[in-house]
Amino acid sequence: MQQVYSKPKSIKENSSFTFCSGCDHGLAIKLVAEVIDELNLQEETIAVASSGCSVFLYDFLDVDCVESPHGRACAVATGIKRAHRAKGDDKFVFTYQGDGDFASIGIAESLHSALRGENITAICINNTNYGMTGGQLAPTTVMGQITTTSPTGRNKEYHGYPIKAAEHIALCDGTSFSARVALYDVKNIINTKKQIKKAFEYQKRGLGFSFIEILSSCPTNWKLSPQDSHKKIEEKLSKVYPLKVFKDIENE
Amino acid sequence: MNEKELLKGNIAIAKAALNCGCSCYFGYPITPQTEIGEYLSEEMQEKKLAFVCAESEIAAINMALGAATSGAKVMTTSSSCAVSLMQESLSYATSDELPIVLVNVMRAGPGQGYIYPSQGDYNQATIGGGNGDYKTIVLAPSTVQECIDMTYRVFYLSQKYKTPAILLLDGLLGQMAEPAIVGVNPYPEIDNSSWVLDGAKNRPSRKIHSLEPDQTKLNQHIFKLHQKFMQIEQNEIDYEEFMCDDAEYIITAFGSMARSAKTVCEFYRSHGVKFGVFRPKTLYPFPAKRLAELSQKVKLIIDIEMNLGQMLRDVRLAVLQNTQISFIGKPVGDWLKPNEIIKTIDNIIGEKYATSL
Repeated sequence: MQQVYSKPKSIKENSSFTFCSGCDHGLAIKLVAEVIDELNLQEETIAVASSGCSVFLYDFLDVDCVESPHGRACAVATGIKRAHRAKGDDKFVFTYQGDGDFASIGIAESLHSALRGENITAICINNTNYGMTGGQLAPTTVMGQITTTSPTGRNKEYHGYPIKAAEHIALCDGTSFSARVALYDVKNIINTKKQIKKAFEYQKRGLGFSFIEILSSCPTNWKLSPQDSHKKIEEKLSKVYPLKVFKDIENE
Repeated sequence: MNEKELLKGNIAIAKAALNCGCSCYFGYPITPQTEIGEYLSEEMQEKKLAFVCAESEIAAINMALGAATSGAKVMTTSSSCAVSLMQESLSYATSDELPIVLVNVMRAGPGQGYIYPSQGDYNQATIGGGNGDYKTIVLAPSTVQECIDMTYRVFYLSQKYKTPAILLLDGLLGQMAEPAIVGVNPYPEIDNSSWVLDGAKNRPSRKIHSLEPDQTKLNQHIFKLHQKFMQIEQNEIDYEEFMCDDAEYIITAFGSMARSAKTVCEFYRSHGVKFGVFRPKTLYPFPAKRLAELSQKVKLIIDIEMNLGQMLRDVRLAVLQNTQISFIGKPVGDWLKPNEIIKTIDNIIGEKYATSL
């Protein structure tokens, strides 16, 4: 008999995801692990985890990993990449962040890393709220969305408008690749993996800052079933946050 | 390198950092320390070392945190109000056990204050502006030569104990030129191969983090850090005693304030009054034990600082309960000159030596 499926080598043995049921973090981390395996990056990778649910990356991914203070993952990754380069080593460095981390508290570090053309990859799990703290309004919360700090829904008078991270990053001259993807069905899961792979390859080729924004479910805080959460991403969120490649330096 | 040069404090620090193998610098401009980054920008780019003009001090210290995971010698430099922005990451790096060198060339505060010399960040540096139970090694040079010597030492101690360490000086010393010798780094290299993040090749993967949801493990971790600080207190205290052997009056002062203190001491000695100066070179760990010994035989300790009494707290904690302590301080601006200090001391001790000035 031939084994057709196994856990990625870059997922820690005997580990099982501790995220809420239906949360897309586990799937996103599995895809990252598969790409690390396929590109044979495990032994040269240094990952940067951030604050929020994304910090638990280091419990599952079997690579060297450092936790960043909240929002500073791209700065930490910059330091790592540059320090190894100063030694004449090129390590593979990526961040794994939530939307609050990447696009709110860390927006300066994120944008400036892209502007510098820092040769790192950032992955942003966008679930449109602060998940770990119980579902508060985030910079990505869409208009009308109810959260624990926008009980009548996001409105422009009190909260202003959500940020479109992948579009902003695409505007930076130092960006090699910027795409938004989702995980609500098999087609999109396959596409997400393809885009992560491309972002990682661009770093390996030294093309500059590469970025993947993953629209992800947060059933616990959205108060929806896992199925309905994915439906919400497909029917509502992807209309506000288009799923596409916003910049690809190879196509310019 | 082994010849005397006329060097500004800031440039001396930059040269010493390069000379002892600092390969990563991340900074953001702020007076009165900007020359350090300016000097390094040229030298480090030439040598293809890591140099980033960070978008903020917050980014700079976090780049330093990231770079420190590689085991490289890492430095950021800044000043007072901007060092305030870095406190969170000093707390993280202490818990992560990462060696980072931070140079704070102090300006006056609180808030933006101004670029005048001041020693107003003693508390922030020694007690810590970040959260949680932690300490930071703090060295305070008094001369440009010591800026060099202590830059070597601050890198060494930071690497040896895997913890952030601060070189704390005021703008006067940063901007002042004196003859000094860059020389060679006298400290050994520290082997950090057992903990650095350089890719999990032929070894299990490593993780560096401060987050710890397990209460027992978090307690153990903080106790472990505490043990390390106790070791630092045991091993690394450094101070200078200037004419303290038979002194009846001891002035306590750190950094460049100690220079005026020594002039004052010599003045009183010339009038037959037995003064001495006790200068902590390590502000943390503070030389409390030695100061306590000295305090047993003096009439009075006079603490002089360019602030409103920050080291004074450590002096009070160190000495015997019935020791008399006076304080002379000024938070900002024109340096406290020996003449001013002598007039004030005359008032304190009920003498009129200042008339002979």
